[in-house]
Amino acid sequence: MNESTPPPEPHSGQGMDYSEIADVQDVHAAVQREKREPRVGREPLSIWLIAVYGLAVFFGGAYLGRYSGNFSGEALDPYGGEMATMKKITGPQGAQQAAELSPHDRGKKIFAANCQTCHQANGLGVAGQYPPLAGSEFTTGGSRRPAMIVMKGLQGPVTVKGQKFGAAVMQPWDKTLTDQKIADVLTYERSEWGNNASPVTAEQIAALRKELANHPNSFAEPDILAVPADEDLPGAAPAGGAPPKPGEAAKPGEPSKPQG
Amino acid sequence: MNPAGIPLKEPSVSAAAGDTEQLERALIDASTRVPVLIFYTSAMAWLILGTLLAGFVSFKLHTPDLLSDISFLTWGRVRPAHMNVMVYGWASMAGIGTAIWLMARLCRTVLRYPLLLVAGAVFWNLGVLLGLGGILLGDSTGYQWLEFPSYAAIILFVAYTLIASWAVLMFRFRRGEQIYISQWYLLGAFLWFPWLYAAGQLMLFVVPVQGVLQAAVGWWYANNLLFLWFGAIGLGTAYYMIPKVIGRPVYSYHLASIGFWSYALFSSWTWMQRLVDGPFPAWMVTASIAATILTLIPVATVGLNHHMTMQGYFPLMRYSPTLRFTVFGAMSYTVFSLVGVVISLRSVAGYVNFTEANIAYSHLGLYAFFTMVIFGSMYYIVPRLIGREWRYGSLIKLHFWASAYGIGLMTLMLLAGGFLQGASMENPSLAFTESVESVLPYLRGRSLAGILLTVSHFIFAYHFGLMLFGLGRKSTVPTFLNPVEAEGAEAHI
Repeated sequence: MNESTPPPEPHSGQGMDYSEIADVQDVHAAVQREKREPRVGREPLSIWLIAVYGLAVFFGGAYLGRYSGNFSGEALDPYGGEMATMKKITGPQGAQQAAELSPHDRGKKIFAANCQTCHQANGLGVAGQYPPLAGSEFTTGGSRRPAMIVMKGLQGPVTVKGQKFGAAVMQPWDKTLTDQKIADVLTYERSEWGNNASPVTAEQIAALRKELANHPNSFAEPDILAVPADEDLPGAAPAGGAPPKPGEAAKPGEPSKPQG
Repeated sequence: MNPAGIPLKEPSVSAAAGDTEQLERALIDASTRVPVLIFYTSAMAWLILGTLLAGFVSFKLHTPDLLSDISFLTWGRVRPAHMNVMVYGWASMAGIGTAIWLMARLCRTVLRYPLLLVAGAVFWNLGVLLGLGGILLGDSTGYQWLEFPSYAAIILFVAYTLIASWAVLMFRFRRGEQIYISQWYLLGAFLWFPWLYAAGQLMLFVVPVQGVLQAAVGWWYANNLLFLWFGAIGLGTAYYMIPKVIGRPVYSYHLASIGFWSYALFSSWTWMQRLVDGPFPAWMVTASIAATILTLIPVATVGLNHHMTMQGYFPLMRYSPTLRFTVFGAMSYTVFSLVGVVISLRSVAGYVNFTEANIAYSHLGLYAFFTMVIFGSMYYIVPRLIGREWRYGSLIKLHFWASAYGIGLMTLMLLAGGFLQGASMENPSLAFTESVESVLPYLRGRSLAGILLTVSHFIFAYHFGLMLFGLGRKSTVPTFLNPVEAEGAEAHI
């Protein structure tokens, strides 16, 4: 292996054997000239470096606090917003918090999030496409008609306030919104923009939901018109006498209408 | 006690006896020759193989039809093969080689139980070989850097146990009352790796954790392998080579100890930011990002410590190959960490996640930092093992510039391409294919960088081969990068 080296010195230990070296000093010129093993100085910490530490700790800590999603195991959102709020509303003590808003105000939020795109913030809809809610005979009459429409949606031509609409389809909301939310949004629609009709409760919607459980998805105008214009949702029983109306009784709403 | 029968210097004897110290070092170097050279030689072989695989992978990204009808040369197999050969074949073996030599030198005792190391090297090579075959035949596990199938992983683990137990034994036999900074890092690395590897294997394959948690375990492992294994060896080596070559004490013990402990504490938390926007609790990802921000502490500390040590000695980089490579690597550590902080912030991570920018980051850590430091240490250690000097200064120079330009170009290409790719992926009006097409020119640039790196590795392998076959220069003067004008202090490099 070493044959080709220019001056073949017999004692050199350049082979790769794990043996002792005859003349250590001669072979290891590199070792002779190298500097001594490294030592460590004892210079103190600079104040600037400590400032950098402080900055890193501050920035890191602030970041952790800002984006930790409240350290909840279920919060995927770094701001901790959505998830945390939703949990609160559904939770027992969250319900109290949500109850501080009136049904009308809650309904306003739901309307803004779901209905406003078509029916517009002023409730006037879009001529020829989306029927108005303000002053509409469907909205301000008995609570059964609007509740049916919101629950299952509406398809086909419809005449509202003497104008024909037909182009658009209203989607069913029963899968998307809870009873409480549907009740709130109906309450809002029936008392906003000069409308003055009775509020709707979650219990009434729950009953309607059961009743419509097997109904195919959307209603058409004749289905709606088949219901008397002033029929209110009963508390529990399907379209019948509905004597006590526990839902209505539960809330002492101001505009308690004297209808059936 | 020592194989040559020459009395080693007692710790009580004062340092005045320079001759004894040299003799001691010569004996130690001689005792490390076989194990270290076995590790280095294997590492070189894997480096060349890994480089060829890398070039192939890089070309496949913009020429996807290249040999695509041969199943074991498809992208899904060649890429993990490249990564694992580089990580376990090249980087780990070269790192262990340097660590062995440093441990012996710093424990100031001849190497004991060389058979542990030789057996470890044999098993390690066997493990990598089997693992590589397994991946190419389609046995890959699919977790980054853990792709080796279990039969290869077991062999690697056995090999590693041999090596780590050697390190602990060596540490017990150490002489002298001081434990030098490099030993903290090296001992840390030797003890961290088996924990990482065992935990990764256990939680992913033996008793797999459920569902998405596997992704978290996978990234935890990949990150800690990069920081606590390669990073620790790299920093430990730099802490030895820089003061050694310039002959000046490390600037501050306090900085060193803060740098070490904050590094161990914070860096092990990072990399969950790879899971940003994934189905993970927000705090998990955010804690990782905060830890990444806190890694600025060790970066600033270690960087300042090296800088102050080097101050006034930077011109020596003109001559000493070791110093040039090591300082390049140490500076890259700073760049690597700063880039890491920037791309980890939520607003940026959302953009660069799943883009080439992450590849740039891994290469900054594994190549610009770790591999360059290890190249530097090899330029220092190999002449001491073989008793010859490197044959051509010009080849070393070429190696350095090809490596430095290669990795610089690659990082720039991948970072720029990655940000562009991220921007097009975020843009909902663009089709996905357009985001792929937008990085194409950058991928071609990366291939160009790959060619530079290939050249540099072949040059180094050739030079190393010359040394191995005893064809180095026989001289008392080291091989300088540039001729030394004034024969003086520099002659000691």
